[in-house]
Amino acid sequence: MVIKMKKRKISAFFILTILLLGLFIVSVNLGSIKVTYGELFRGLFIEYNEKVATIYDLRFPRIIIAMVTGAGLAVSGVLFQAVLKNPLADPGIIGISAGSAFVSVLIVAFFPMWYFFTPLFSFLGGILACLLVYSLSWKAGFSPLRIILVGVAINAVFTGLMESFGSMSGQNYSGAAAIVNANISMKTWKDVRLLSGYVTLGLILAIFAATRCNLLALEDKTIRSLGVNVNALRAAISIIAVLLASITTAVAGSISFIGLIVPHIGRLMVGSDHKFLIPFSMLFGAFTMLLADTVGRLIAYPYEISAAIIMSVIGGPFFIVLLKRSDRTYGG
Amino acid sequence: MEVRELDFSYGKIKVLNQISLQIPKGKITTLIGANGCGKSTLFHVMTKNLRAQHGKIFLDGKNINEIPLKQFAKEVSIVHQYNVSPNDLTVKKLIGYGRIAHRGFGKKDKEQDEKFIHWAMEVTGITELKDRQISDLSGGQRQRVWIAMALAQNTKILFLDEPTTYLDIRYQIEILKLVKRLNSELGMTMLVVLHDINQAIQYSDEIIAMKDGKIIAQGSPRDIATEKILKTVYDVDLRVENVNGNIFVLTI
Repeated sequence: MVIKMKKRKISAFFILTILLLGLFIVSVNLGSIKVTYGELFRGLFIEYNEKVATIYDLRFPRIIIAMVTGAGLAVSGVLFQAVLKNPLADPGIIGISAGSAFVSVLIVAFFPMWYFFTPLFSFLGGILACLLVYSLSWKAGFSPLRIILVGVAINAVFTGLMESFGSMSGQNYSGAAAIVNANISMKTWKDVRLLSGYVTLGLILAIFAATRCNLLALEDKTIRSLGVNVNALRAAISIIAVLLASITTAVAGSISFIGLIVPHIGRLMVGSDHKFLIPFSMLFGAFTMLLADTVGRLIAYPYEISAAIIMSVIGGPFFIVLLKRSDRTYGG
Repeated sequence: MEVRELDFSYGKIKVLNQISLQIPKGKITTLIGANGCGKSTLFHVMTKNLRAQHGKIFLDGKNINEIPLKQFAKEVSIVHQYNVSPNDLTVKKLIGYGRIAHRGFGKKDKEQDEKFIHWAMEVTGITELKDRQISDLSGGQRQRVWIAMALAQNTKILFLDEPTTYLDIRYQIEILKLVKRLNSELGMTMLVVLHDINQAIQYSDEIIAMKDGKIIAQGSPRDIATEKILKTVYDVDLRVENVNGNIFVLTI
């Protein structure tokens, strides 16, 4: 039985990797500029080709940002779910992304000279939102539904603030609007660099935290009896989760539901052990976000629908189904 | 372990009032009392889950507030009343958590860990369940798994909070026999919170009776199981019978 489960996990990883590679290859060549894969390969590695250079400058950053963002948000969701003991927690739904996005918009709109530090401020915004949600929903433990309710309220406040400041920002509007609307169509390699360093750090920390995340599935008292300071552990893992959510938000805007859907399907595929769930969610998050972005580019061509909107349209119903099911498990 | 003049209150409500007691080494001590008498609170203060406003608790002469959680977990293991775990976790992995306090940064003795995990499974009789998922187990088996996890911590002292509460009578007896065996074979010091007065009499060396945040009496089962003390503790008249030298309280 154990061997069978192991086999299943390995094949899940294998299939997912193939799918992600396939999607990447398809996505690179979708859009107004088209080249053959031979041309693409030669253009990238052997000789200059104008079309390929354009693809390299415009499409590659976007694709990479979609994947890195998806991986970061999915893992952030996994971590929040572990910390809050709540399978419905998602950095978007509980307002962490909105807090980050709000602060990012403030910086982009009013202090553009600090652009390079946007991730840092975004992180502070995320921490602020996180502290608000935790402190307002803590009452001798985190009740799963209270967190969601408080999170929805925090999310609404920050989203409202973000939108109003975004509209007031005048000349820097386009930059702010990109975050408000979670638009990743005009991203460059500069953004890729800004994003990937922090996200890689967060993902590595998350992998190291995997065994500790497993512990959080026990009762707090039991965790303490094993000699682990559960609140310090919670704080540390929350910081990693906020880091991942806020950096991705600073670059790609606020995107909900990735952090909810991906870990949920991940648990069905590879189980609840975070040693598998975290790496799987990285890959699957990258895949889902890239798929959403690619579909958004195609579905109403030549217009584009942002990945965030695609995710909301799919994620909303998914969330309702989970909420209905969790009624039975958690009683509210 | 020794408790001195412990006070604990939730806000203005005083739950523990000047508690002083001694847990004798190598014996089974049972904590009894009516609902809301403070025995659970005392249990949690003694296991470092709550901090008393006044008074001290000593473990081998050391104030437990000054013992770091990790160190404490190497000396005292605890089985709480209510436990949850992921459904797909295997028995062996869960018991492995008991070794966490013995690990550190770059300090991991796999052989030692394995040894204690296997030993804990053997003592509790769950070796053949080691690859099963927790969700597949019966209530009694699960309780033995949680006890095994505590045993893997390799401590001299074991605390159990109402270990029989959610179990059928058959499993209740099985768990209590296990507790007795751990005490007699390994010489572990035990503190057990029990609901059932007769089980407390049968299985303990020492009973501590509480009421309204105070200790009413501490002594051998024979000293405690008197109609007078039981009347004070539970506020109800209970008959105590002596059958062939064994004491029984008629709880109906």
